[in-house]
Amino acid sequence: MQIIHLAAEAATQVSQVTGNLGVLGYGLAAIGPGIGVGLVVSKTIESIARQPELAARLQVTMWLGIAFTEALALIGLATPFIFAA
Amino acid sequence: MFDDLTSVMKRVLKFGVLLVVGIAFVGSVIGYLVAGVSGVLAALVGSLAAMAFTGLTALSVLVGAKLNLAGFLGVVLGGWLLKMVLFLLAFTVLNKAEWLTREARPIVFFTIVSAVIGGLILDTRIVSKARLSAEVKLL
Repeated sequence: MQIIHLAAEAATQVSQVTGNLGVLGYGLAAIGPGIGVGLVVSKTIESIARQPELAARLQVTMWLGIAFTEALALIGLATPFIFAA
Repeated sequence: MFDDLTSVMKRVLKFGVLLVVGIAFVGSVIGYLVAGVSGVLAALVGSLAAMAFTGLTALSVLVGAKLNLAGFLGVVLGGWLLKMVLFLLAFTVLNKAEWLTREARPIVFFTIVSAVIGGLILDTRIVSKARLSAEVKLL
């Protein structure tokens, strides 16, 4: 019962949020690719530490991973062009 | 002949520029039909933004490849961070630009999306076709 009460209170507070919601959009567009690139890089470092002789191949694969992840960031940054009121 | 990191990145940049020029041309034609001159400008801005965004990563890998691992990661990740901030500012300015009419705005978005997806297909193809050797260092 208390949870329902808390949820109702939170909903009232969210409806009172003012300001530019696009800022939240940027945050969401940055958080996913940020985590993604972090994972790609950390795994590449781990792999190079295990097999240093494969560094060149791993760097190319890492770049491909970053390219896919950052595509999401670019599309996220460009969304105001279609979603603007 | 085997490829190395530099030759792969140079190929990516070369074919990437060709792809973006093609997308800019097609986008300009569609943009002109949809929104007139503003549509053409929108297509050019969109394709230029996509080329700069994806090209800068490839360029940072090309530059970083000459350094050691820490330097490589510094250049690639630092460049990525700087690029995100610069693009956020550029898109904020562009979003307020008056020469970009309401009808032309979606053209920017769709040229960016098509250039990015086309670029990813191209990148994957180039990397999968590259003959990268494992350089065996004998101690």
